[in-house]
Amino acid sequence: MKQGFLSILPLAAGAAAYGFAFGVIAAQLDFPWWGIAIMSASVHAGSSQIVAVEQFASEGFVIGAVLAGLALNMRYLGIIASLNSVLKEVPLFQRLFAIHITSDENWALTFAKRAKDPSIGAPFLIGSGLTMFVTWIISTTGGALLGQSIPNLVDYGLGFAFTAAFIAMARAMWRNKQDTLPWVITFVVTILLIKLSLGSAFAIIAGSIAGVITTGLTQQISKKAAA
Amino acid sequence: MTDAQWFLIGTLALGAYSIRFLGLVSGQLISDNKHLSKFLADLPGCLIVALIASSLAGADPITWTAAAIAFVVALISNHVVITMIFGFIAIFALKHFFI
Repeated sequence: MKQGFLSILPLAAGAAAYGFAFGVIAAQLDFPWWGIAIMSASVHAGSSQIVAVEQFASEGFVIGAVLAGLALNMRYLGIIASLNSVLKEVPLFQRLFAIHITSDENWALTFAKRAKDPSIGAPFLIGSGLTMFVTWIISTTGGALLGQSIPNLVDYGLGFAFTAAFIAMARAMWRNKQDTLPWVITFVVTILLIKLSLGSAFAIIAGSIAGVITTGLTQQISKKAAA
Repeated sequence: MTDAQWFLIGTLALGAYSIRFLGLVSGQLISDNKHLSKFLADLPGCLIVALIASSLAGADPITWTAAAIAFVVALISNHVVITMIFGFIAIFALKHFFI
């Protein structure tokens, strides 16, 4: 668990910048700092919180804001489903806790580390998840309390550090050249769907499914060719 | 806090956790199926590539260039923190010189 706590720290720094920015925005939209803390702890979904709060402030409709936020969170269907191999040996209450504290960053880091070291499992996921969870609560609350007295680090390009980290994690998760075509298909399909105005959450799921189907098809073709 | 704000937080929290719980249940159901279990092994890699694609879909050429630099650094180093540092330096420098 300690390894998870420490390994995620560089990514937690990036998440803190986003959390701080969200806290500033939410406070400007009349959410009290303690309300933001409750929201971050109970919802724990960065981009969904940002979208929901902005929609709520601009449209004033709770249901519309919730649906917009949840649509962005749909990718967690696939993310949590993929954790089955990591969580299957742990008690139910730990599983129910782990799925709440899982974020994009610690999920991806867990699989990237697991690709190199198969002993990496639930303790790493929970340790890194706790770091991200606490960081998110503190940074969003801090943003609400300190307001605009600290410059927005996201404007300086810190947000791109996430993309760079995901690229590195994908590199670590790349198994062999059989992954290449499915990943290219995933990348192209996701971008095309977003360009066609599909919501990014649905594009992520559809792109991933296209990639997985491609993997299955290429493996079947390889088996038939070998037979 | 207003009633509407409480309602927003409550429904968002319930919805977000329900999605995660549904993911947990579906992951278990898929793993119990011999034919579908392989799906879960291939899913993480495809999901992370899709996350990268979504963050680049509407990005400007500078961000794409920085992503290409990060990709090369990741290929060579195979290290998350080193790639993050070079990625951040790349986008900071590119924005500084070209904007």
